[in-house]
Amino acid sequence: MGLIDNLAKYAQHQNLSKDKRVVFDSFIKKGFPTNSDEEWKYTSLKKIVKSEYNLFPEFSEIDNSIINKYSLGIKDKIVFVDGNLVFSPEIKGVQITGFSDFDCRNNDAISELNSALAKSGFTIIIEKDIVVENPIEILFFNFTKNSFSQYRNRIIIGENSEVKIVENIQDLSKSSTLVNHFTHVSCNKNTKVEYNKIQNNTQESKLIDCMNIFQNQDSVCEVNTLIFGGGFIRNNLNFEQNGSNCESNMNGISLLDANQFADNHTFVDHKTAHCRSNEMYKGIYLEDSRGVFNGKIMVRQDAQKIDAFQANNNLLLSDNSTIDSKPQLEIYADDVKCSHGCTIGQLDEEALFYMRSRGIGISEAKAVLTYAFASEVIESLSIPELKNLSQKLLAHKLNVNLDFSL
Amino acid sequence: MLKIKNLKAGIEEVQILKGINLEVNSGEVHAIMGPNGSGKSTLSSVIAGKEDYEVGNGSVDFLGENLLDMDPEERAHKGVFLSFQYPIEIPGISVSNFIKTSLTEKRKALGQDPLPVKDLLKMMREKMELLSIKKGYLSRNMNEGFSGGEKKRNEIFQMAMLEPKLSILDETDSGLDIDALRIVANGVNKLRTKDNATILITHYQRLLEHIVPDFVHVLHDGKIIKSGGKELALELEEKGYDWITKK
Repeated sequence: MGLIDNLAKYAQHQNLSKDKRVVFDSFIKKGFPTNSDEEWKYTSLKKIVKSEYNLFPEFSEIDNSIINKYSLGIKDKIVFVDGNLVFSPEIKGVQITGFSDFDCRNNDAISELNSALAKSGFTIIIEKDIVVENPIEILFFNFTKNSFSQYRNRIIIGENSEVKIVENIQDLSKSSTLVNHFTHVSCNKNTKVEYNKIQNNTQESKLIDCMNIFQNQDSVCEVNTLIFGGGFIRNNLNFEQNGSNCESNMNGISLLDANQFADNHTFVDHKTAHCRSNEMYKGIYLEDSRGVFNGKIMVRQDAQKIDAFQANNNLLLSDNSTIDSKPQLEIYADDVKCSHGCTIGQLDEEALFYMRSRGIGISEAKAVLTYAFASEVIESLSIPELKNLSQKLLAHKLNVNLDFSL
Repeated sequence: MLKIKNLKAGIEEVQILKGINLEVNSGEVHAIMGPNGSGKSTLSSVIAGKEDYEVGNGSVDFLGENLLDMDPEERAHKGVFLSFQYPIEIPGISVSNFIKTSLTEKRKALGQDPLPVKDLLKMMREKMELLSIKKGYLSRNMNEGFSGGEKKRNEIFQMAMLEPKLSILDETDSGLDIDALRIVANGVNKLRTKDNATILITHYQRLLEHIVPDFVHVLHDGKIIKSGGKELALELEEKGYDWITKK
């Protein structure tokens, strides 16, 4: 039985409300997207939806040592185990609770599925005029074998407030699993938000992540997507600017090997004037790995004086690695500044010799050059523990014992 | 220290070095001069281990070992250093990070522990002073946006940090104004000991006013056609290369 039949059967027993039933039926009608859908042209779900999944989480206990192993060492942690919220911190001016339902405008099949059936996730509400001093770490652990998990999360940031968040979805089931992760972020006036995603998983884990960010005037929001492993990853990152003087920043690293796959789809909807967006995605592909980048920037008719920048740079470090990169600009206003660029290349032989002549061995020289390539993103990370972890993961993945700090 | 015997090398079918013989001992400074296309840079690249060149006949012995059998990094670990004619820009890596990595890797190869950060920074400061290098320089990206003079100074800074036994300075004077030339030359002179040796590769006599060589060799069409003392350089400056090459 494929996933869609399994889900239909599951839904029958869920006593869905009338509204949810409508959304679910819409999902069933559309089905999972295929390669004939433009947004999924280079990304195939075929194998994924054919697999058998367990839709019922089996709750397990978690040992503190496991939490500590995957935590950045940040004090304020939200911890989920098999979809259960087991731990949340007390922070002044911040309400943290489990799943609370909400509507959204996404009408793609996978978001509808999440909307109809998700029962787990977090809700973070930050009051106005609160600067959350320490970053908040959110850890999702899964131990259920062959699980299909759906999380639905909501973040509301009150006027003039600031927060930094690090999210890590970790599959420890040693089996083939799928996660459908949906997060909705509302940035009110004059807020500052930084959201970091660590995606470092096993070959068998699959993740479809959708994040919608709604920005009001004078808000700044940054999302860093750090991919260091995973069998299949699809990230949909959507920004909507609804007030003047908004800034949307996106940075990404994809460092993949074996036959890993990661797809970053970004969309910035510039609806109002005097706003900015910056996008910098770096891909490094080893062995048989494959990447996709699709960056869409829409500048609506009334959105004058927009300054939008997008770059996607890729290093292909083997003959069998692949990247499909597609910048997409749709501009309906006449007084804007938009630039984009995409590069695909290899390491510079001259630079390699230069480093070797200084005593740096060939693997280390390659690693240093690769780090240099990614450093624009890694060095910009504002949480020291996260920067440190990224440097370590990069060295580990490139099989060298190098310390990139100093 | 370095014994080159009948060295022949080229790229693909083109023979560039046609039988070089050269012996360099500890404490010596040798200058290799010659017109464009005589093979000066090929010689330095072959000694440093650039793989683009095919080495045919001949041998290069460094401290009793066959240098031609070693990878470039191994040559560096043994004490060979090449100051590049055109140093490479590496955006994304700071000067300090680059030097820390090369020093650590060299020490690792020699079975030594990495220098503690405190000692490393102290050493960097000392060597920077030697070359009149300003503060913020360490955090700049490796050679990125450096002027010609800054790039060459950076090469000598790396040389000072790595403390090689044999340094080959390939056209280190090109792109330097008089003040920068004096600073770089002064640095090189201060780094000279009785245990290390230097090969200067240059077009002009200018550099040799500041770094006085013990021997001067003229390279022409892949061969050393004349060797002499420092006065040979003056003679070349006066008469040009035709005087020897047309003989």
